[in-house]
Amino acid sequence: MIHVRGLEKHFGDLKVLQGIDLHIRQKEVVVIIGPSGSGKSTFLRCLNMLEEPTAGEITIDGQILTDRATNINHVREKVGMVFQLFNLFPHLTALQNITLAPRTVKRLREKEATDLGQQLLAKVGLADKAHSYPSQLSGGQQQRVAIARALAMQPRVMLFDEPTSALDPEMIGEVLAVMKDLAYEGMTMVVVTHEMGFAREVGDRLLMMDEGRIMEEGSPSEMFANPKHPRTQAFLSRIL
Amino acid sequence: MQMHWEVLARYYPLLVRGALDTLQFTTISVALGTLLGLFVALLRLSRNKPLRMIVSCYVEFFRGTPLLTQIMLIHFGLPRLLGYHPNTFFDAILALTLNSGAYIAEIFRGGIQSIERGQMEASRSLGMSYAQAMRYVILPQAVRRIIPPMVNEFIAMLKDSSLLAIISVNELMFRSMQISGRTFRPFEVYLFAALLYLVMTMTFSYVGSRVERRMAIDDSR
Repeated sequence: MIHVRGLEKHFGDLKVLQGIDLHIRQKEVVVIIGPSGSGKSTFLRCLNMLEEPTAGEITIDGQILTDRATNINHVREKVGMVFQLFNLFPHLTALQNITLAPRTVKRLREKEATDLGQQLLAKVGLADKAHSYPSQLSGGQQQRVAIARALAMQPRVMLFDEPTSALDPEMIGEVLAVMKDLAYEGMTMVVVTHEMGFAREVGDRLLMMDEGRIMEEGSPSEMFANPKHPRTQAFLSRIL
Repeated sequence: MQMHWEVLARYYPLLVRGALDTLQFTTISVALGTLLGLFVALLRLSRNKPLRMIVSCYVEFFRGTPLLTQIMLIHFGLPRLLGYHPNTFFDAILALTLNSGAYIAEIFRGGIQSIERGQMEASRSLGMSYAQAMRYVILPQAVRRIIPPMVNEFIAMLKDSSLLAIISVNELMFRSMQISGRTFRPFEVYLFAALLYLVMTMTFSYVGSRVERRMAIDDSR
């Protein structure tokens, strides 16, 4: 469902991505690990064109993102994204954060949007926080609202960019629990994370990125047990 | 020297009328200048380079030259150039609007750019267009942040509108000059005019600080 061919991204002379080829199947959960600066986040951001690739081709659900004729807003509706720093809209309540895009982009009526929002808040365990503002929520709660917000557009794929890195340790679990539920429901997910427990439990495939390339890939259990590439061995020994 | 405060008893209604006219010119011009400034700020942040250059020239010109010069240019110069009859009211509004538009454009630009990049990215990642993200996410947040500089701009414009006296706009300063000339009591008249300006500016800075505090409370909810 996602095809990436020869993807490159340069920032000036800096080659952040140096040729990525990847095929992600429907319902697959792909976990990306790697040291900082390896290009994981940039790769993820290319998948919904928050970064414009320098070269290569990305196809999602048959639509070629890298084609200038493609309406990128339509593609983005189908690709949800969750950010490290949540990026909730601080001037809107939790419910309004969720309903804004369905109302403006999909032109849902207020009633429908509110029903959808309440339903999603319940799904992430925050039914009672509908009218709270982001500043009144804990980090873990904010990130769960952010996940609900992305789900409101009924995406076919969800991208997670280090969703728990900015959280206090005691809040990581509640966010991972929501992500696990999503994975079990069959959502196609691409997750950049350092949470190896999550990778082992729900990851179908683990990618190790370094210096803008995919160094190694395989099933999480296999890679944790005997990483082949020395870089992967070094990296895993540091974080496991 | 003896003071003759009784001239004020006779002329204060005219001066108060002048103050109301000052308020009217300022309010209309800053309101129009806000629309103009928002538009200019959005163009300045756009991807279109020629448009960006044009609006930058506009902003630099009106911020980099004296308002008095702009008033003269618009009232005496433009009608000559374009061949129409100068209309004092229209020229006064035009000059103040163009001037405040340039300052307000910069205020808006600063406000918009102060919103974290993640807000635009989150909006776009949900499928919203650039315009929708601006309208529903960026501008509502930027507007809160620009209230203090906007109040300052309004107060500055209120004071600077006194320059309209040079083209005989019947506002507070022009009336003061006339009454002072007629009565030979400049100290009393100008002091009273100054007090009227002060009452107006202090009122607005008070209202501004109240609004700002309200917004601060809203933010910390």
